[in-house]
Amino acid sequence: MAERKISLVLYVIAFIIAAAVFSIGVFVGKTIDDAVVNDISSDVSSLSQRLTTTQLLWLLEEDNPNFCSVYVSELQEVDEQREYLGQLLTVLEEKKQIYAPETKKEYFLLEAQSYLMAKKLSSLCMDGEDVLVLYFYSNENCELCTEQGTAILMARDESVDSEHIRIYSFDGDLGSPVVDALMAEYNITEYPSVVINERVHSGFVPKDELLGEFSDDS
Amino acid sequence: MMDTIELFNYVIAFLSVFSVTFFILLMLTYKKEYDHEPELKPGWTPKISVIIPAYNESEHLGKCLQTLLELDYPEDQIEIIVVDDGSTDNTNEVARSYEKNGVVVYSKKNGGKGAALNYGLERAGGEFIATMDADSYVMPKTLKQLLAYFQEPEVMAVSAAVKIKPTGSPIKELQRVEYLMILFSRKLLSFIDAVPVTPGPFSMFRARVFKELGGFDEGNLVEDQEIALRMQAQHYKIKSSVTADVFTIPPDNIKDLLKQRVRWQRGGVRNYWKYKFTINPKYGDFGLFVVPLHFATLAAFFIMLGLMIYTFFFAPYYTRYVFIETLGISFDTLFVPTAFTLISAIVWLYFVISSFKDEQVKLRYILVFFFFYWYLMMGYNLLMVYKEIRREKFHW
Repeated sequence: MAERKISLVLYVIAFIIAAAVFSIGVFVGKTIDDAVVNDISSDVSSLSQRLTTTQLLWLLEEDNPNFCSVYVSELQEVDEQREYLGQLLTVLEEKKQIYAPETKKEYFLLEAQSYLMAKKLSSLCMDGEDVLVLYFYSNENCELCTEQGTAILMARDESVDSEHIRIYSFDGDLGSPVVDALMAEYNITEYPSVVINERVHSGFVPKDELLGEFSDDS
Repeated sequence: MMDTIELFNYVIAFLSVFSVTFFILLMLTYKKEYDHEPELKPGWTPKISVIIPAYNESEHLGKCLQTLLELDYPEDQIEIIVVDDGSTDNTNEVARSYEKNGVVVYSKKNGGKGAALNYGLERAGGEFIATMDADSYVMPKTLKQLLAYFQEPEVMAVSAAVKIKPTGSPIKELQRVEYLMILFSRKLLSFIDAVPVTPGPFSMFRARVFKELGGFDEGNLVEDQEIALRMQAQHYKIKSSVTADVFTIPPDNIKDLLKQRVRWQRGGVRNYWKYKFTINPKYGDFGLFVVPLHFATLAAFFIMLGLMIYTFFFAPYYTRYVFIETLGISFDTLFVPTAFTLISAIVWLYFVISSFKDEQVKLRYILVFFFFYWYLMMGYNLLMVYKEIRREKFHW
């Protein structure tokens, strides 16, 4: 019978190396995460500037419909990027538990800016064919908020006029002045709440009901 | 749910980094000894019995026997036994045609490979026993190279260097890479007395192993692994050679490959489960590393599969808009450990291939093996589960 060997030194070294690799991984991951949050913040700022420029043009030209194509295409491009940034922030929060409240506040400001512009353009340039959806949620004490977010996205994707449905999501607990103002405007007192073209729905709204609302308004 | 998934991801990543690092450390520790093979002292020619269980092996048996007859060893000290396990082709005729060369042929009712080996064992008179698969063939010096290991009295078994001849067939070339990797790993494990298998093609044992531990486990799907695990459980020393060549004919199509590997996987899981008690420091590195690694690898396969299914079918709806980011490719703490494991594994594979100086393997097969062969392994595991659930019987 052979005498058994235990390569204790090798196990210890392997463990130390594995732990070191993980520590470096955590550090690099944190650095990358910070960089991603900074990138999102910077992208939000530049989108906000784009919208501000468009709004300036709007102020100069008053209600001149000749510039509608410029306004609409600008808003469209900004909204596509805005939504992507919003999803990234969600991934960071839900998958990696990384909360960036200041970036979120900047993001909500951009959303509010975009919402107000869409509201104005809807009557001037698009004959009211856009469906504007405000979705108020909370990351705390709201069991149905994740489900509501999914229902809104699914309803938008399944809708015939999905390209005309603009969704603006707001975390009501963040303490963002612009979100607080919008909540006061629509008298939002519970989560989730959905505002579809100014009509307030308090509590969870099922997907099918949302689809009906979207088709009525588009 | 995501927290649990994250935790699994982290555990798998840590174990991967740890295992790869351990193997690299083993390689560095035993680098000088790796190429050192013992030399047989002149004049020592104990009697050796070679047992070849054969079932419908008429195609390859002739070459197998021919190369055994050409072994560089005194004729009167080697006994070649063919056990025809109720073949339905002309295996028996092929075997009988070698009787004039001294080959002993027995015919029995079909009972499986383990039973055929035991039938041969009962009739073998050698001080050493070599098992041989009928679809494999040896080199003239192979036997002496293996025998040299037994000059160390504690060595109870030695596995040969099972290889595949280059053919140009992609599926065979991929198996060549795999065989070289397994061979290299087994050699390293032999330095820490943790070899978990004595492959069918030309593993050699002291005859007393079977007297003390009993014969092969009849009905076992991978009896060559079971005997090795049984030996490890009794602290018997098993060595591995990387130069005592024996060439085997691998499956040449996916269907046969899957059939073979599913059998290995099913048998492997059953065997390791049977010897799970060896997860204990008293079994040395075998109990601390090899057996746990087997279970961990299997668990990792199923966890990864579960994660893939979850990611594709049950992930939150919003992730479809940011799918790449959700997978964690662009920003994730696990990026560094994953990259480390991948790079280490590539370095490992490079050392494996370059250590076999006579084996020329094309880079494309190494890359395909590295990046895609794992999916095939996942397939083996799934089929294994399917067949186990259906309790399908195995016939060789």
